[in-house]
Amino acid sequence: MYEIVVISGKGGTGKTSLTAAFAALEGPDTVLADCDVDAPNLHLLMQPDLKMSHDFYSGVIACIDPRLCNDCGVCKSRCRFDAILITEGHYSINARYCEGCGYCANVCPEKAVKMLVRKVGTWSVATTRLGSWMVHAHLGAGGENTGKLVAKVKNEARQVAHNYGKKTILVDGTPGIGCPVISSLSGAGFVLLVAEPSASGWHDLTRISELIQKFKLRAGCIINKTDLNPEISSKIKTQLQKEKITYLGELPYDEAFTAAMTKGRTIIEYNSSSLKNTLSYTWKKIKQITKLERY
Amino acid sequence: MEKNQTNHKIRKVLILKIVFTTKGTSLEAEMDSRFGRSSYLLLYDDANGTMECFDNRAVADAGHGAGPQTAKKVFDLKPDILITGNGPGGNAATILEKTGIVIYIGAGDLTVREALENYQKGLLYRL
Repeated sequence: MYEIVVISGKGGTGKTSLTAAFAALEGPDTVLADCDVDAPNLHLLMQPDLKMSHDFYSGVIACIDPRLCNDCGVCKSRCRFDAILITEGHYSINARYCEGCGYCANVCPEKAVKMLVRKVGTWSVATTRLGSWMVHAHLGAGGENTGKLVAKVKNEARQVAHNYGKKTILVDGTPGIGCPVISSLSGAGFVLLVAEPSASGWHDLTRISELIQKFKLRAGCIINKTDLNPEISSKIKTQLQKEKITYLGELPYDEAFTAAMTKGRTIIEYNSSSLKNTLSYTWKKIKQITKLERY
Repeated sequence: MEKNQTNHKIRKVLILKIVFTTKGTSLEAEMDSRFGRSSYLLLYDDANGTMECFDNRAVADAGHGAGPQTAKKVFDLKPDILITGNGPGGNAATILEKTGIVIYIGAGDLTVREALENYQKGLLYRL
């Protein structure tokens, strides 16, 4: 079982498009894991057929038991998040505002406030139209992204890969360098960086490569939309050499990506032969690297 | 790699306590490649070959700050060495750095026994 994690630092550089492209090249022998649980979109290209779906709980939320509440209002006076509503003299919790700190439950003289586990989203296991498996999650509005849900998605993906004898796990990561990204990197055999030659793309690339160095992970980088700014592109290439990150190739800015996406297809299935060739070549390179020993 | 081996030779004479991040409670259990959300912490004592297991699932289930909380647990066990998969993230690493615990990574796909053997052979990567 080999795990390839696609991340970028900056959002919108083309992680999902490329993950989907490689998934199309690799075919049924993969398990896809969409770890971008804040704004998952791999399913748009994969049109998964759900096999099972589960609720995901994280953190707690206050809840006032109206049978015990004597409407004293102590909770409202203490709540720092303005999460306690009063309607016709009775108190209730505004779930959107409650941070789950538990202060109200602590001060309630009647012990009418209970802290309940909070459902923040769902996660599902599915098969895709390409024959591969896919694990993805969806956070509800206001649901907080934590490494916990990412860990869940990744563990399930490993379980599926184990059960069905799949060799490759392709992980579509989250932008940024924080908790969810760190969580998506755990167990990674290879990290695929998708860089974008823009000021913010460059800045975030340096941050993410710092993180990768910290974990001593093997990494490679594709420069997407390389013709947007050839100057930064060449700067990225020099930097990659310095940081010992394998340079895997570059892709031009191409509206075929958008066109394929609006059709719900990967770029590989869409008619664009030059991109297809570059991507197959890059994927071959990645596969060669992943066959090597880890350190 | 050579550096690791010499290091190991020096350390061989010392009595070591090693903490593993694991998915199970025995030597045959799989290692957990995660640090913060590792299910269990196994403390192996090189002096008499005994093992002790600590449940970390409550931390693994926490929404936030799993890394630093696990780091604190590891610190409380007072090991000389930590063996894990990818290594701790930024926050946990900052804490562990100050404790002087030596961290070895790259054991994520092994069982605890294999990880221990690989460590003794000097095959793990030192952070």
